[in-house]
Amino acid sequence: MSAKHYTFRIQRNRKGPDGRIASRWVDYPVSATETTTILTLLEEIKGDQDGSLTFRQSCRSAICGSCAMKIGGRTRLACKTHVGSVANADGVVVVAPQANQPVLKDLAIDIGPFFERIHKIQPHLEDGPDTDAVLEQSAYDQVNHVTQCIMCGSCYSDCVMAEVTPEFIGPAALAKAFRFVSDPREGQKRRRLEQLSHPHMMWSCARCAMCVESCPKDVKPMEAIVKLRTRGLAKGLDAGPGPKHALAFHQDIQQTGNLNEFTLMMRTVGILGTLEELGTAFHLMKKWKIPSPLPHKSAGLAELAKIYEILEEHPLDVETKAKEVVPE
Amino acid sequence: MRLDFAYYPGCAAKQVQKEADVAARAVALALGISLYDMPRATCCGAVSLRETKPAFSLAVAARILSEAEEKGRHLVTICNTCLQTLTHANHRFKNEPELLDKINHVLAQAGVRPYKASIQVFHLLWVITDQLDPEVVRAKVVHPLKGLRVAPFYGCHNLRPEEIFDAKAGEKADHLDRLITLLGGQPVAYDGHDKCCGFHVMLSDKTEMRAMVAKNCLNAKNAGAEVMITPCTLCDMSMGSFQGPAEKVVGQSIDLPEMNFAQLIAVAMGLDASAGLNRLHVPPYGVLSARGVR
Repeated sequence: MSAKHYTFRIQRNRKGPDGRIASRWVDYPVSATETTTILTLLEEIKGDQDGSLTFRQSCRSAICGSCAMKIGGRTRLACKTHVGSVANADGVVVVAPQANQPVLKDLAIDIGPFFERIHKIQPHLEDGPDTDAVLEQSAYDQVNHVTQCIMCGSCYSDCVMAEVTPEFIGPAALAKAFRFVSDPREGQKRRRLEQLSHPHMMWSCARCAMCVESCPKDVKPMEAIVKLRTRGLAKGLDAGPGPKHALAFHQDIQQTGNLNEFTLMMRTVGILGTLEELGTAFHLMKKWKIPSPLPHKSAGLAELAKIYEILEEHPLDVETKAKEVVPE
Repeated sequence: MRLDFAYYPGCAAKQVQKEADVAARAVALALGISLYDMPRATCCGAVSLRETKPAFSLAVAARILSEAEEKGRHLVTICNTCLQTLTHANHRFKNEPELLDKINHVLAQAGVRPYKASIQVFHLLWVITDQLDPEVVRAKVVHPLKGLRVAPFYGCHNLRPEEIFDAKAGEKADHLDRLITLLGGQPVAYDGHDKCCGFHVMLSDKTEMRAMVAKNCLNAKNAGAEVMITPCTLCDMSMGSFQGPAEKVVGQSIDLPEMNFAQLIAVAMGLDASAGLNRLHVPPYGVLSARGVR
């Protein structure tokens, strides 16, 4: 494979005398084959062009998670990313530090706030009343989904909710929480789910699936969040607008086949919440964007009622299962 | 190629965003795409139903897909969330035969035709950009957009998770950009084109939702966009109707006209009576007439 010319457009960040980070973009020309990794080229730039360029790296094998950074608009591991896959049509590769985290210098960020969020969910097994007495063969079907996480922070860096609020716990911490909630040895499943039902926890995920795409280890954090919500609801933890909204969907489909959007808000945020939103409702009404209060029914609703009844009587386990991990 | 589809507009297009439905039907008719209504189809349940009742949500999806399959048609929708929900279920049915058997067993007991997992789920936009000859579309454009700078807002649920979709998805997706070019407009690149409109946290995290709307719209506007289009009725609601409430949260005027992709096609094709521009919160009249588009 022949070498091509690329331009690395790197965000250089330096703390000024006022303690604030000043950013500038600097271009570095490199020559490489399409499959050369970003990390190799960053090292070349540091070695041959500018020794002051700062970035983190360690294992070079997509195991340690140190070299996660924004490459071509998305957070990726520099050691795993081929230059040819992220260069734009002009051969430019845009490299910046992870987002939603404080920048220390150039491409290095303070990963501390990310780990504070992980610690919030008590990332260790706890004793308690919910420990299962027997471990079935299938006991780790769910746990194994999320143990691949290498804590690189990619999902948090690309999270659209983290972008607008530092309060959100973030995808990695929620995936980690799911790992404990679904572990048969865990004794505090209910207490964990109660904690996860608080504001800015599992119900604040916008379900954009950006974390599913960003994760370099295919952990699928959003899938874990959806499963956490199912487990919370199954334990009757339905306080707050998130669970109320989900339950309203289920009531409407079961009863009429379609959403009653007119009453959906009332059932999600209650009367007080609806009153708070009257201004918004008036704004929507200006363009006739208020749904009809009358339920609109689909044909064949008896079928739906029957399906519901059968599944309530004979529940089906339809959860996706992790592939069996066989030691080499 | 037969362009007959079972048409699943989704809940929003039936009521609050019905302008998208009207435009989609008019555009499809003009392009020779036949859309057949699905009288038995219910709400897809979105991820909400998957959270409350995972098995029921799959059965609901199978029942919808079966109605289209019975008529020998693939399903087409204009809502990203319906697209993702039905595609997610369909992807599982095609790859997990045991799961499909279990769900079909329930359907059969309830008197519903079992689903054979033989159909595909498409977005109407993909049908227009991937299945039609571009010349067929171009021939219908009577008011080319004359370089109008249009921000494509893809939304999340026609992009991710990439592996489930029957079209180019994830970072590789370019269908909205291609549509804009086809209509004579100029797609605007900006940070946020593949981010979230916040619709699904509109009620639970309302300040954050409005902040997402403001951020995406302002990024598009600062990149030079004169108008924004989306392929999703829910994104339309957020980026268009909630732009005003979002302005209040960020304390800044945005004023970026926003509409559904089908409305912009309708405008370019001269189908003004079906474009429904009068239902938009941030109307595009000014930017369109400045280009002599209407």
